Amino acid sequence: MPVVELSYKRLQKLVGKVTKKQISDSLPFLGLDIESENKDLIRIEYSPNRPDYSTDFGIALGLQGLLQIKTGAIKLNIKKSKKYVISVKSEVSKIRPFVTGIVAKNGKIDDNTIKQFLTLQEDLHFGIGRKRKKSSIGIHDLDKITFPLVYKAANRNHKFIPLNSKKELSISEILNNTDVGKDYGSILGNFSLVPLILDANQKTVSFPPIINAAVTTVTTKTKNLFVEVTGINKEDAEDMLSVVATILQSAGFTLESVQISGAKNSSPKLEQKKMSVSPSLINQILGLNLNTSKIISSLKKSRLDASTKGKNIICAIPAYRFDIFGSMDLVEEVALGYGIQNLEPTLSPSQTLGQKHSNSINLQSISSIMTGLGYMEALNSSLTSKRILYDNTNRDSSKIISVLDSKSLEHTILRDSLLPGLIENLAKNIHESYPQKLFEIGTIFNKTSSVTEETHLCAVSSHKNANFSEIKSILQSVIQLIFGKTCETKTTTHTTFEKGHVANITVNGKIIGIIGEISESTKDNFKLRESIVSFEVNLPD
Amino acid sequence: MLSQVFHDIEKKIIHSLQPDQILTISEIIKKTGLQSDQVRRGIEWLKLKNLADVKESTDIHFHFGEKGDEAIENGLPERILVNEIEKGNTTFDKLKPILGLDFNAAIAYAKKNDWISITKNEKSTELSLNKDRQESLEEKFIITSKSQQENETNEIKVSADSLFAITSLKKRPYFIIESSFTIKKISLTNEGKKINLDDLSQPSGAIDVEAKAPEVFAARTHPLKDTIDEIREIFVTLGFSEINGNMTQSSFWNFDALFTPQDHPARELQDTFYLDGISAKKIATPEQIRKVSESHKKNWRYHWDINEARKMVLRTHTTCVTIKHLAETKPDESRIFSLGRVFRNEKVSYKHLVEFNQIEGVVVGKDANLRNLMGIQREFYKRIGITKIKFWPTFFPYTEPSLQTMVYNERLGKWVELFGMGIFRPEVTKPLGITKPVLAWGGGIERIAMLKYGLDDVREFYNNNLSWLRSARKCQ
Repeated sequence: MPVVELSYKRLQKLVGKVTKKQISDSLPFLGLDIESENKDLIRIEYSPNRPDYSTDFGIALGLQGLLQIKTGAIKLNIKKSKKYVISVKSEVSKIRPFVTGIVAKNGKIDDNTIKQFLTLQEDLHFGIGRKRKKSSIGIHDLDKITFPLVYKAANRNHKFIPLNSKKELSISEILNNTDVGKDYGSILGNFSLVPLILDANQKTVSFPPIINAAVTTVTTKTKNLFVEVTGINKEDAEDMLSVVATILQSAGFTLESVQISGAKNSSPKLEQKKMSVSPSLINQILGLNLNTSKIISSLKKSRLDASTKGKNIICAIPAYRFDIFGSMDLVEEVALGYGIQNLEPTLSPSQTLGQKHSNSINLQSISSIMTGLGYMEALNSSLTSKRILYDNTNRDSSKIISVLDSKSLEHTILRDSLLPGLIENLAKNIHESYPQKLFEIGTIFNKTSSVTEETHLCAVSSHKNANFSEIKSILQSVIQLIFGKTCETKTTTHTTFEKGHVANITVNGKIIGIIGEISESTKDNFKLRESIVSFEVNLPD
Repeated sequence: MLSQVFHDIEKKIIHSLQPDQILTISEIIKKTGLQSDQVRRGIEWLKLKNLADVKESTDIHFHFGEKGDEAIENGLPERILVNEIEKGNTTFDKLKPILGLDFNAAIAYAKKNDWISITKNEKSTELSLNKDRQESLEEKFIITSKSQQENETNEIKVSADSLFAITSLKKRPYFIIESSFTIKKISLTNEGKKINLDDLSQPSGAIDVEAKAPEVFAARTHPLKDTIDEIREIFVTLGFSEINGNMTQSSFWNFDALFTPQDHPARELQDTFYLDGISAKKIATPEQIRKVSESHKKNWRYHWDINEARKMVLRTHTTCVTIKHLAETKPDESRIFSLGRVFRNEKVSYKHLVEFNQIEGVVVGKDANLRNLMGIQREFYKRIGITKIKFWPTFFPYTEPSLQTMVYNERLGKWVELFGMGIFRPEVTKPLGITKPVLAWGGGIERIAMLKYGLDDVREFYNNNLSWLRSARKCQ
């Protein structure tokens, strides 16, 4: 879950008449977990589907609703303007086809506000922007730009001074030599052309989705903003814009529209969408019996608008709440507005009869057989290392199953046998008293055309006098109790075991496992001294 | 103290020491007839019980050496000298061959005793006897010793009379040999003296029941397995039936069927384990694939790729097993649960494992509402001994509404997150033909087991450390 850092004081100012305690008590009921607190600063975990909560402006809107300071949907007041125009050239269609934007005026920007805008931008890029691939955003100082703008494609020799640079760089230099260029350049693929936003004086404003021009950098002196969003589809670009517009308006800016045309582009509407939900669904899902007015007030506390239409409730959902897909999302909004703390848990008697899976019952029986024979149960990971599974045990690694990019060196491949893990357990316990007898029941993985899973039982016994006949006695007893049959041990060879002290285990002529004394070389590899005997069998499904 | 039971060895030793004896080990051996190691062991036991006292002292013994024995037989060299002078052998030249190596010593001691005088002339050195020659203390001692020679130990008895002579003779090489060794003197403490060995309440042949016995260790099931079994039991008694599924799953069932878009960050390599070079051939029915992909295209607006759905992963949750089961059975009414290992590509730490166990429960049907879901949670927690719980809203991609349980950890003194829960989104259920609401909840079992066993490091469960397995409490 992403995390945002906030100041209580700023939040109190934004929410209005509210105590610090009211804020900290209410945050969890908005779905916001307080990760840590240090005097005025709090770190809050928010859900990735709520980018508006990546700023204190957005969280304040939610708190106002829950605390009934301001309820109902946030309406965007966008002044229609003809001054701000972007025309789109058709050559961007194949690269990054859509652009949208808005102008925000007369705001006050301090350091904290800039910090909040940066976390918002980062969240949008990472989350709904899918690391800028789907959509990306640029926030600019409006007064440094001369309209109309053009969104077009340019070749890689095009030069401008990018953000955080003092000199002109070409597109190729930006892509090859700067951090953002290296991180996001692949989004643009191998096209010879790249997307650019230029102003009326042919000055570069932005090179989406990589970097803005230095000239439009937002500082604490900036009064008026121009926001542009580009992306691979119009809806996602407008979703992103709607979050920024909502946050800017609640930060005190007045919004003005930007007119966009050309190559299937059009001006954003950022309109509310209407959705209907039936009170009976709400009451059925929540297990409540709320009347329509209670439902409507709950929705308003969740900062939505609602009214009745016949038997149904019609909700007006602001554009930035694109996390709301359908009626079940509205059920949740009612639950949040009603207050999760007000839902009393109930226990309805079960109409069904429970039972364990037959497999679980069998495995529990096998566990009790093994403990009855004096063996201690061990548990090891399915993911292990090549060192344990193959190198130290001298086993054949031709059917190795690896996972990609594991963060842990000890967990890079799937086990195809339980024995190596148990030998490793013995190696970790050399300081404990002997005899040491361990068993494990677990899943092993075989590489076929895909991958198959089997359940195995493995036992090891280690002490000075451990020998083949000791472990064969255990095996005979186990096989009799599991299969109701006797087993035979047929001489074989196996690289983990001592030559001449190893056998295949067969039941009804079918090989089901292996038994023997662990070889000196395997023991050496694990730095083990005491004798070890073992068997491993495949258990029936 | 009075009820104490003594081993026969202890009884014999106590008996030999009562009422007020101070004995050496060899004396006790003699008196009791026990073997020396039995006596030593018995004394150790009594010492530990604070019934016997052991005092160590050093004993010095003297024996006659080779020269001493000769002197007893023939007299001291100075006496032999005097006897020879009396026989008329008065010059050095005559006496030297007779006395040999003892000559110088004989002269020196005879002079010291004032028995002889020496006069030198040109030809020779003459010796003459003095009158009034008194017997020396050394000679007296040697003569007395001769009369006691039958004394079997050959040990010299030290007395006030003999002390001077012994000290003096010790200075002469090979006359007297000194040996010293430590001896233990054993006596009873005041407690020990009070013991009444005739007490009839002590059965004969009793053993020391208070002594430590050798350790043995019970073979047992793994503590984490015990927790898993306990949870399985609880679900069954709440009317749930267990379902099983593979740990390796196609991305389709792990993600796509659960409304997680293919470009979602959770599907990246850095969070999920993909199997290198392994893809599933048949992942689902053509209808399931078509409907799921349509739901993705409509709601998430991207190009859905079947090859992405074929990629095999280590399941990141057991929900893939649940949804597959529901898609196959499409029940109107059902309570099921699944239990098993799930995987996350994370750095291993005291909080995180790459592989852990998850429990997941599902309710389908008319009881499927949020308050009932909360009620089942509360009942479940009550049965594992957790009563302080609360619910907070949260977010999961495939449930709506979604809640999480917070439980109060008494030991840490804070609320910790446990199970997540919610109602499957229609975007999940509809494409798979599931028409009734589905409640689902679940979470990690290790977290519960950590609370149960008071562990702070989750890795402990997979270390298979024998000292822990042999001692961790089995019954709660």
